[in-house]
This record gives sequence, structure tokens and C-alpha cells, in this order.
Amino acid sequence: MSVVAFVVLAFMLTAYVMLDGYDLGVATVTPLVARDEDERRTCMRAIGPFWNGNEVWLVAAGGALFALFPLAYASAFSGFYLPLMMVLWLLMGRGIAIELREHFPSTLWHQFWDALFALSSVLLILLFGVALGNLIRGVPLDTHQYFNGTLGFLLNPYALLCGLFAVAALALHGTVFLMLRTEGPVAARSSAVARPLAIAATALFVGVTVATAVMRGSPGVPVYILAGLSFVALGALMRSVWRGAATEAFALSSVWIALMMAVAAGTIFPYLVPAYPSGSGGISIFTAAPSVTALASALTATIVGLVAVCIYSAYVWRKLAGKVR
Amino acid sequence: MDAVAVDRMQFAFTIMFHYLFPITTMGLAPFVAWYTWRASRSAEESLTKAAAFWTNIFTVNFAIGVGSGIPMEFQFGTNWAAFSAKAGGVVGQPLAMEGVYAFFLESVFLGVLFYARRARPGGLAVAGAVAVWLGSWLSGFFIVATDAWMQHPVGYAIATGGNIEMASLSAVLLSPFAWWQFLHVICGALVAGGFIVAGIGAYYVLSSREERLGPDFVRAGVVIATIFSLLAIFPTGDRNSANVTEYQPVKLAAMEGLFESKNGAPLAIIGMPDVAHRKLIDPVVVPDVLSFLAYGNFRAGVHGLTSYATALWPPVELTYYAYHVMVGLGTIFAAAGAVASLLLFRRRLFKTRIVLWCLMLLMPFPYIANEAGWMTTEVGRQPWIVYGLMRTAEAASPNVAAGETIFTLIGFLGMYFLLGVLFLYLTLREIGKGPSEVHA
Repeated sequence: MSVVAFVVLAFMLTAYVMLDGYDLGVATVTPLVARDEDERRTCMRAIGPFWNGNEVWLVAAGGALFALFPLAYASAFSGFYLPLMMVLWLLMGRGIAIELREHFPSTLWHQFWDALFALSSVLLILLFGVALGNLIRGVPLDTHQYFNGTLGFLLNPYALLCGLFAVAALALHGTVFLMLRTEGPVAARSSAVARPLAIAATALFVGVTVATAVMRGSPGVPVYILAGLSFVALGALMRSVWRGAATEAFALSSVWIALMMAVAAGTIFPYLVPAYPSGSGGISIFTAAPSVTALASALTATIVGLVAVCIYSAYVWRKLAGKVR
Repeated sequence: MDAVAVDRMQFAFTIMFHYLFPITTMGLAPFVAWYTWRASRSAEESLTKAAAFWTNIFTVNFAIGVGSGIPMEFQFGTNWAAFSAKAGGVVGQPLAMEGVYAFFLESVFLGVLFYARRARPGGLAVAGAVAVWLGSWLSGFFIVATDAWMQHPVGYAIATGGNIEMASLSAVLLSPFAWWQFLHVICGALVAGGFIVAGIGAYYVLSSREERLGPDFVRAGVVIATIFSLLAIFPTGDRNSANVTEYQPVKLAAMEGLFESKNGAPLAIIGMPDVAHRKLIDPVVVPDVLSFLAYGNFRAGVHGLTSYATALWPPVELTYYAYHVMVGLGTIFAAAGAVASLLLFRRRLFKTRIVLWCLMLLMPFPYIANEAGWMTTEVGRQPWIVYGLMRTAEAASPNVAAGETIFTLIGFLGMYFLLGVLFLYLTLREIGKGPSEVHA
């Protein structure tokens, strides 16, 4: 039962990274692919109807962690106190930038919100990458399973490498999304930017993979298979980027992200909050879960709701698909 | 500084700022649906503009509501880790369900509604508006259910380690405490929504603008505001008081400023509590009425604060004033609504400028009443975080220093101040331009 709960949680976080990942990625590359006022508006309109629903995956995953593994929620959220508060402020900045941009017809007004949109999105990706890196690396849990994640501890080379990699990977993801959703100069520049981004993401991906293997030791056969598959997916993604096949590239980019999240989840399993240094235990899915009946009730409610969400989201995406102008 | 005190200050500030926006979205959602539906069935261009106008105002409120709402969910973990670890098995679940069942619905379909608003609304836009409405109310329900459980815990079991766990989800979600509280919250939101729509309409009528839509807004707003300000008093307000009387008698005593137990307890209309001397200063009271309201019997005995240890008292002044502000304003809303409805029925409202002025000036007050109502509920729950099971003093994160929270509190203060100024500026600008110049 706890394993199912772990999988559900990993699924929700993966959905968040895949979906809001392209919103954040689009914001990151907008300064590179859009040259004027209209083109920047086109980029924002590409994610316009979706970003809010995408962001909910993070909120829902937070809620699910709270319900399914209260101890891990309590420890991780209080331990990552300041970084999480920064995430909150940046999420607000990003959302407000999208919503308020169109409310006032002034170039300076637009420039301000465009800059905030790009900056808060890049920093969000960086923070998420650093957070994930630190989860894989482990955190200094005390005897009561709490920790105080100071920035001095959290900003270590490994986590920063993860953060940089996250920026490159999601920027690429956002770029192929723009190839899919836009036409004209924005789409052309996106195709051009995607190539160096893909190369940078590949280099950083190799770096992160090697660093993780050195730090965590052998993670077991399933994780090796998933890691291998993620390299295959990245290879196929590069091929479609070079051929300019937008739909295929976005699908492959999504698969690649899902596989990487699966590798990350497989690496820390069965822990939710591994202790630092690695190998010294942590908060596992067995210690953090409530009783079987409580878990079953929370899990049922979550899964039924998620199935409905997937169905109507798919319907809405089909309705709103196509190029923006 | 005491970490728990700072955590409470941060939670109080962030929730009070946040709640301004859900009041508006829960209160305006039916109006958005109403105008979208009418626009979809009529060729009249002004109705399409009205639908776009309310969708715009709704969307800005929703965006700030979402932005300021995520910190609420996160703070349970960041600032109240001990509470989350102990009670997360119960409170986590309705919160998770809010995300999965309500928040997705609202966010996904708002995208549909917002991006469809340029043209005359079709079936998809109407479905979107109804889904957004449903989502906003469901969201409110799950949050209120979480709070109601903290007020009156049901359907739980204590596990071997001392943690509180879910024994029956249906008991938590179907708790009468939760339902009466939710219905009262919905009444409060609709009173706000009604007075906003009526107030903006009155502003257009008074300034001789929007001749088609101004009176339409006044009519729609006045009807809703009147019905729900009456329902806010009876039965929902009355039933909430009954629940408090039964399960939280100390809170009742603090709300009413009743220090001494009494048969035939008086209802204090006004008066200032003097906690040190255990009395009300300059009270205006109606004898025996509190006994009647609480127990349906003018001679019934009501326990005063002094029958409980002071350690069990909530902050008396704050609870007392919050409650009296809510009740006083609620009475004014019902009276103003009744007068406006009567004039509307006699077709004289649009000639009675003084009443239109009142409708316009009343706009901010439902927000104060809603906030005061929640203050009564939450401040009155102290010293408990989960009534009778866990004290607020034991609930904070052991690993987060007061100084850290002060830092983030300063951050929230600055950010919300800016956001509030921007919001007011943009919304007033949108209202000033009016639906006929709506930006789509």
C-alpha cells in the first residue's frame, strides 16, 4: 500500500514537472526567441490557458504528500523552510506577471512583467533542481527526523549541478513546446535555439548521471534500465529537434522528463526524505505513512480524483490545441 | 520572541489577505455563470460584454487568490510541522481532496472561460463558467471541512504513537459542524458578491453610465444579497451558534462577553469587555435573550467565562469584538437588502438615489464581516489547534526559529502590500472603464 502511495506521489510530481515544466521553460527562453512586444505576447499566450491548471499539480502533490505521508511532509517542508518560501514568492511573481501584464497598455508596464516572468521562472527551475538534488543527496536529519536546511548546506556543488541541469532540460522542453504552439519567427527561432539547448542539456545530463552514480553507489537493475531508456529518449529527442518535427519532439521531451523523474524516484526509494550522508537511513515510506486504513482511504480519494482530472484535462487540451497567433 | 506567536502572526496575516480573494471568487462565480449563460442565449452585445467584464474581474481575483493560497497549504508543513506530523493523517486528506477535486476543476476550466471570452459565449464557455463555479464552492467546502474538524474533531482514531489518524472520511466530510459552517461561509460570500455587483451597478446608475447594464447589475446583486443576508442569519448563523453552544461553550461565553454564569443570560448588543475586572464596560444588554438564542428557553442557564480555568479562555476581547462586528454588519446588510428589494419590487429603486448611494458605499463591508466571522471562529478556538486534542502552543515546527519566520513575515508583508495596491488600482480602473469598454 505504501508503495502504491509512493508511485501516486511520484506520478503527480512528474506530471507537475512535465506540464508546468514547459510553462517555466517557455518563460526561460522567451527572451531568446521573442524580439518584440507582439512576439513576447505570443509566447505568453502559448501557455495562457494551461499554466494555472498545470501549477495545480504542485499544489495537489503537496496535499497528497500531506495526506499520504504526514511525517515526511512535516519534516521536509519545515526543513526546507526558506527555499520553499522563496518558491512561494516566485510562483506568485510568475502567476501575477502573466495575469497583470495585459491589464495596462504601456510598454514599460509590459517590459517589467516580461522581465519578472522570465526571472521568476528561471529561479523557480533552479530552486526545484537544487531541491531535488538535495533530496537525492540526503539531508541531515536529527533524532526526531527534523532538519534545518540552511542555504549553506543546500547550495552544494551536486545540488547546483542538478539545478543547472534542470534549467537546461526545462528550457529545452519549453522550446519544443513553442515549436509546437507557435508559427512564424517565434517558431523558427525556437527551432534554432533548441539545438544548442539540447547539446547543453545532454552534457549536463551526463554530468548529473555520473555524479549521482558516484555519490549514491549502485541503485539496482530497474534504475539502470530506466536511466538507459532516458538516454535513448534523449537521443530520439535530439533527432527530432534536428529534423524540426515539433509534435514528436514535444512528446519525446515529455517522455524523457518522465523517465528522469522515474530514475530520481527509483534512486531514493524506499525513502521519501533520505538522510545525509547517503546510506544512513531516513524517513521511508513505511515510517511516514499512517495506518493501513487511513492510507487506503486517502489513496482511494486521491486516485479517483486524479482519474477524473486526467480525463477532463485531456478534453480541454484537445479543445484548446493548435497554434496561437 | 516566541516562535509560536510569530507563526500565528504570519498565518493570521497571510490567511486574512488570502481570504479576501476567495470571498470574491465564491461570491462572483454564480454571477459570471449567470451573465455567460444569458449572453450565450441572446444576440445582445451588451450581455457578452457583461460576461467578459465579470470574467475579467473574477480572473484577477482568482489569480491573486491562487498565488496567496499556496502559502496557506505550505505553511502547515513549514511553520506547523508538529501539528502536521500529529494530525496530518486527518487534515491532510480534505486538503489533498481540495487540490484534486476542486482546484483542478476551477483552474482548468477558467482557462477555457478566459480564452473563450472574446467572442459571444457558446456552450463550452457556459460549461466552463459552471465548472469554475462548482470548483470554487467545492474548494471552499474542503477547506471548511478541514477547519470544522479542527473545531470539532470527529471520525478519528489515536494511533499507538499518539498521532491522530483518519477513521472515517465520511464522518469528517459529513459532519454537521462542517456543513453548517460551509453554508454560512457560502452565504457570506454571496452577500459579498451580491453587494459588489449591486454596488458597481449603483455606481453606474448614479453616474448615468452603462444605461443598459447598470440597472441589470443592481437588480441581480440586490436579489442575491437580500436572500443570502437573511439566510446568513437564519438558519445558518443560528445553527453555527448552536454548534458552538454545544461543543465550544467557552468560545460562546467569550463571543458574548459573558463572564458570570447565569440563568436567563442577557445578550450584549454593545459594551467593552474589561477582562481584568470580569465585566463589560458601558453595556447595552437585552435581558434573557442569550439564553433563548442558545437554548430556546429564556430562563436557561448559560455558562460564563468564570466557570472555566483562564488557561482555557480564548483571547476574550478579540473574539468578542470580531463576533459583534460580524453580527452588527450582518444586521445592516439584511436591513439594507430588504429596503432595496422593497423599492425594487415597487419599481422605485432607480429613483431613490440615497439607497443607491448606500448600496455603493456598502461594498467593502461584507469583506469586513466575512473576515470578522472567521476571526471569531479561529481566535475563539484558542488555546486549541485541534479542539480538546492538541494545543496551538505544541503545534509549531521545532526546527524553525522565530527569526526565520519574522524574515518571511516581513517578506509577505511587503509583497502583499504591493499586490494589494496593484490589485485595487487595476480593479478600480476596470470598473471605471465599465463593461462597454471592456478589455477582452
